Amino acid sequence: MVEEESVRVVRCGGSELNFRRAVFSADSKYIFCVSGDFVKVHSTATEECVHILQGHRNLVTGIQLNPNNHLQLYSCSFDGTVKLWDYVDGILIKTFVVGLKLHALFTLPRAEDSVFVIINKEKPDVFQLVSVKLPKSSSQEIEAKELSFVLDYINQSPKCIAFGNEGEYVAAVRDFYLSVYFFKKKTTSRFTLSSSRNKKHAKNNFTCVACHPKEDCIATGHKDGKIRLWRNFDDDKKYTYTCLHWHHDMVMDLAFSVTGTSLLSGGRESVLVEWRDATEKNKEFLPRLGATIEHISVSPAGDLFCTSHSDNKIIVIHRNLEASAVIQGLVKDSNIFTGLMVDPRTKALVLNGKPGHLQFYSLQHDKQLYNLDIIQQEYINDSGLIQIELTKAAFGCYGNWLATVEQRQEKETELELQMKLWMYNKKTQGFVLNTKVNMPHEDHITALCFCNAEKFENPTLVTSSKDGHFKVWILTDDSDIYKKAVGWTCDFVGSYHKYQATNCCFSEDGSLLAVSFEEIVTIWDSETWELKCTFCQRAGKIRHLCFGRLTCSKYLLGATENGILCCWNLLSCALEWSAKLNVRVMEPDPNSENIAAISQSSVGSDLFVFKPSEPRPLYIQKNISREEVQWGVFVPRDVPESFTSEAYQWLNRSQFYFLTKSQTLLTFSTKSPEEKLTPTSKQLLAEESLPTTPFYFILGKHREQQDGKINEAFESELVQLPLTENIPAISELLHTPAHVLPSASFLCSKFVSSLLLSKETKSSEEIPEDVDMEEGKESDDSDEENDFTEKIQDTNNTDLGEDLLHQLSKSEEKELRKFRKVDYSWITVL
Amino acid sequence: MAAGGRGVADPLSPAGVPCAFSPLNQAYFALASADGQLRVWETANNRLHQEYVPSAHLSGTCTCLAWAPARLQAKESPQRKKRKSEAIGPSNQIDLLALGTAVGSILLYSTVKGELHSKLISGGHDNKVNCIQWHQDNGCLYSCSDDKHIVEWNTQTLTLMVLWYWRGDNSSVSSLCISPDGKMLLSAGRTIKLWVLETKEIYRHFTGHATPVSSLVFTTVRPPSESQPFDGVTGLYFLSGAVHDRLLNVWQVRSENKEKNAVMSFTVTDEPVYIDLTLSENKEEPVKLAVVCKDGQVHLFEHILNGYCKKPLTSNCTIQIVTPGKGKKSTPKPIPILAAGFCSDKMSLLLVYGNWFQPTIERVALSSKEPHMCLVRDISNCWAPKVETAITKVRTPVMNSEAKVLVPGVPGHHAAIKPPPSQTEEVESKRKLGENEVSIEERLGALDIDTKKEKDDLPQTNSFPVLLTQGLESNDFEMLNKVLQTRNLNLIKRTVLRMPLHAVIPLLQELTKRLQGHPNSAVLMVQWLKCVLTVHASYLSTLPDLVPQLGTLYQLMESRVKTFQKLSHLHGKLILLITQVTASEKSKGMTCPEQKAKLVYEEERGLNECFPFLIYFYQDNWDEDEEDKESEKDEDVDEEEEEEEDAEEKDEENGEDRDVASEKELNGDSDLDPENESEEE
Repeated sequence: MVEEESVRVVRCGGSELNFRRAVFSADSKYIFCVSGDFVKVHSTATEECVHILQGHRNLVTGIQLNPNNHLQLYSCSFDGTVKLWDYVDGILIKTFVVGLKLHALFTLPRAEDSVFVIINKEKPDVFQLVSVKLPKSSSQEIEAKELSFVLDYINQSPKCIAFGNEGEYVAAVRDFYLSVYFFKKKTTSRFTLSSSRNKKHAKNNFTCVACHPKEDCIATGHKDGKIRLWRNFDDDKKYTYTCLHWHHDMVMDLAFSVTGTSLLSGGRESVLVEWRDATEKNKEFLPRLGATIEHISVSPAGDLFCTSHSDNKIIVIHRNLEASAVIQGLVKDSNIFTGLMVDPRTKALVLNGKPGHLQFYSLQHDKQLYNLDIIQQEYINDSGLIQIELTKAAFGCYGNWLATVEQRQEKETELELQMKLWMYNKKTQGFVLNTKVNMPHEDHITALCFCNAEKFENPTLVTSSKDGHFKVWILTDDSDIYKKAVGWTCDFVGSYHKYQATNCCFSEDGSLLAVSFEEIVTIWDSETWELKCTFCQRAGKIRHLCFGRLTCSKYLLGATENGILCCWNLLSCALEWSAKLNVRVMEPDPNSENIAAISQSSVGSDLFVFKPSEPRPLYIQKNISREEVQWGVFVPRDVPESFTSEAYQWLNRSQFYFLTKSQTLLTFSTKSPEEKLTPTSKQLLAEESLPTTPFYFILGKHREQQDGKINEAFESELVQLPLTENIPAISELLHTPAHVLPSASFLCSKFVSSLLLSKETKSSEEIPEDVDMEEGKESDDSDEENDFTEKIQDTNNTDLGEDLLHQLSKSEEKELRKFRKVDYSWITVL
Repeated sequence: MAAGGRGVADPLSPAGVPCAFSPLNQAYFALASADGQLRVWETANNRLHQEYVPSAHLSGTCTCLAWAPARLQAKESPQRKKRKSEAIGPSNQIDLLALGTAVGSILLYSTVKGELHSKLISGGHDNKVNCIQWHQDNGCLYSCSDDKHIVEWNTQTLTLMVLWYWRGDNSSVSSLCISPDGKMLLSAGRTIKLWVLETKEIYRHFTGHATPVSSLVFTTVRPPSESQPFDGVTGLYFLSGAVHDRLLNVWQVRSENKEKNAVMSFTVTDEPVYIDLTLSENKEEPVKLAVVCKDGQVHLFEHILNGYCKKPLTSNCTIQIVTPGKGKKSTPKPIPILAAGFCSDKMSLLLVYGNWFQPTIERVALSSKEPHMCLVRDISNCWAPKVETAITKVRTPVMNSEAKVLVPGVPGHHAAIKPPPSQTEEVESKRKLGENEVSIEERLGALDIDTKKEKDDLPQTNSFPVLLTQGLESNDFEMLNKVLQTRNLNLIKRTVLRMPLHAVIPLLQELTKRLQGHPNSAVLMVQWLKCVLTVHASYLSTLPDLVPQLGTLYQLMESRVKTFQKLSHLHGKLILLITQVTASEKSKGMTCPEQKAKLVYEEERGLNECFPFLIYFYQDNWDEDEEDKESEKDEDVDEEEEEEEDAEEKDEENGEDRDVASEKELNGDSDLDPENESEEE
């Protein structure tokens, strides 16, 4: 039973990146963003994730750099803790337990030992800004219960709080109020705008606030798209404000640049607006950012901006308004209509992405490959517009064909449908539109499926629709004298007593087509398009339909809305078995007979894996997700696993992925967490040594020459150099995190004493490099050797006694130097 | 794994540029081009991931590169009570890339951070670095150089230090390879030497290459026979390729030091520049080998290594890539393949081809049957660097005017009406044959008729019937235009009357084609259609395959009049409004409003009452027709009416003056729709 436990549900694709503002590191090399329970550290240059800081037990709600140490990061979470991280190495340094649900976090350089958090007290909708004193202690986990109240009745979003002018005041907005609290005076002033009762100002609610970093100036964003700049707000009467208006919809976020010369704003228009000098005339735009701007942040160095977007991406933008990098998660903006598919060519997961796009998501590398623009129309970001939606897509013939259906419905009766058939062009390695069908059906298309049998020469597509028909489309030769071409034409239209066609499905060999018409399943011969037989169970409308595969290809499975799963035998044309199961998702495994069904109950979703030939399931996993599971798919593995245990043999050839209602992509992992954790210890830690700069070349040239000479000396023979790195004590000292080490004062005395010892060895090492120098070797010698050198000097003098005055003077000089040195040493001794 | 290319022999030829796939799942492809830049590409979507220019890229161009073994990062945390799901992050992150340069320094580049990690200079080479190999376990790095030495580097401790520095050969050392167990090192200059890493002593010598060895790689991880105890290296095979050599030699490490010659060899077309292989894990599984040659071809070998083979083996499959030759002028040109790597499933191959500036990376499925694969690829559009797509990650598939467009009514949008399925296929085919013959006869006959006519009355040569038949036969667009674009109703009638019978069906088909066009031209065609159907109804009804012949015409009409009911409703309402307005205007000067109100009310009711009656009438009528299959004529007449009114309706949308007349027709039109629906069965 130990093995059973090891099949666990794991998340892929990451969580939302756009929940809170991203934060830049002080040197703009890294960008931090919250992602579910984690904080992700990305490189701004390469978009890659460098570290994942994990330790919080609930949603992370705020991150800020430690203003006193730029290599540390504070984070707060709904689990009631504030954690301090070392982001360079990805180590948790300290945990401060506050014990209340924390909604946002702010830090101030002035308030060294405290941070500001938003908490929720008493009533569900009343939020407070409080400062939390972080006690100094050496322990890892510290209780921080000393809260002091700052502001009451504020909005829970961190966008509605801003600290200004180096922390002299804090501004908060909610509904129609702007409240400013001055830390020095400890007073609060409140400014009101006319409320919604006045029709003229129907939508001037505050949405966000930003404070000028240097001056007393507050910028507020409003629901009607206006930006107000408030000045002189320290006086309740004399305050003024000016308006900037470009946005036509709500201002989502505001940010001042580091110097405060320009203001950045963004909203649903997905245009980043830079207001220079806070005037309406000087505007710069960065348009077409793809989706609604949710957050804007500015790097402390001032060279980068970044915008978080509603389609789960972060764009890093240069100071000159040029996008430089995109950190893209699984797009979670739109509803998933197409379901999950696997592109046979790239082995990527395909689903709805950006509006009107199909996103290709690589599961092997766990990142998005690209978005394929299917609709190819400019997306207009406006609320209340009815957009063209990509509703169905299917791959056929080993990825050579892609069929997409898009629809737009303004009113009940006015439906616009379009089906596009794309051919993969091998020469250019991309999809090319082959056939466009306007209004392929008179009503919504409910299912789309290719015949994926080995009939390469004759691709077949079936569409079923609510208008009661299903259409068979085949590829025909459209060549004429001008060009060679192929195109799709309708070959057959079928219907059954004017019922709505709800599902369609080809058998594995492509010989049979099953189409469900509400409660009835019809089987058609794909050669002649004759109706072969019908099955009817009177158990509600058919929701899912699929044929068995391989040895189970004689079975047809149908799941109904009334919670019955039926299995029909196609040879005897009779019901083989049925089970009571409220099936939400039913997916056949392309590599085996297995079929996965996910059922929905009030507690959660359960997974059943079974073979159509036997009604007993192979594997049951209860409660895989609390939410409703919407889609699922089997993805063939590149390298088959070899599980011997019967319980999860079904995972050998393929992996099962499923998508919940909140669009989290989940899968099953068989590796135990320990197994995945062990490689960390083996992690390759290559040491960083920075390359030399030109500055170094000027200053360090001399030293380098000396090094070179050492090397020359050792070059001729095979030598293992004496390495301090090989001493285990030193390497241990250097590899241990700083917070685990004993205090510096304790180490210092030992260090100093060790230096005293090492001096001898050092001097002895230095001898060979001074050999070349003519006479100056003594000058470098240390005091302890004075007597010795004096003797040498004496012998020198006797040997070279006949020499000239010049020589004498030199020796005299050296004598003098020695005396000087002696003097110094004498002083130090004193 | 694979030995990177050896130096840059010729800056113009792309083959031999140092390049490598990242280990494990080959997510990235690193390529150091001749201009000294390092580019890392994402293999999955062929996107430039990053670009790095070393500060000394002009003096010390990159001569070889090697990815560090995968850096495994734990991303999963143990399952917690509260949240059922946990995240898997990028589980296998590959980070460090070692670059050897022409001046002897080695750079470590971090692909995650996008910056130089460290630079190994002190105590290293003072000449061109030829090959770099990472030790798979302990993070050591081995490099060899033109200065005849091999250096072992330690990258894990605080300072990057030279651990060992020893003379590897009498000439320059060109290639290195570490044994699968990590205890031995192969080095090669002209001779191949096997070193024990711990003591740095020579264990074995292998000789056989005349030129410097350019690539070395171990091909097996286990000895072929399991009888004797395995000491980690004895019995293993390795492969070597040399400069200007078209043979790849396979050597076996033996326990006795006798055999020094190659066990077997593979033959290729040119000097190998990039080698990748799949390691065979057991005896039965063959070793798969992909060799990229300097001439830009890939040779695939599949062989179970077991002992001697005198003859050099030839490749199982050769892959070439060429440009499409457009037209007759340009001949297809070969596209050089830069590198090839096996995917983890061992069944497909990642190919990198094109120029090093903008290579294309493609995953090609391997089929063992074909001895020669020639892939036609168009890389002309790859030349422009796509900066924009790199940022937005959006790909736009091609939508050009060549795409076929199906709108309701166009043949192909709806299934073609086929002859009733009761007839067997054999009969059909026979009939078709017969039909063809008949048509030829007919044509001959038609020619006769034409000549006769010409003889009979010469002045009528350019008369409309003759022009029409000639136009239909020759499919002459201008001639047909001349005839069909006439507006004279009488002329149309006369022409249709006089035209030969065999031309009726072609004319109908031509008319159908033209009806699919713009509605304005369709107005004219409707007149023609009406005439044809009234005059030749009897002939048409005799045709056995009329339903398929006129199916498209019928579908077209059906789709065209689909919205007609709605339109006529609108029309009716508008008329109602207008009459009310005019009536009220009149009433200002005239009488009391009661009378007018009555009038308007009656009109509306009259409209509504009209419908059911007519629907019933027509449906009954149609049902009868369906029963006795000869009702084609009626159908045609109906269609004709329908179309005619349709056209008229369109006319009247512009002219508002003829309100009353259109109202009359309205009743007639709207009842046609139910009948159409019934016919669909």
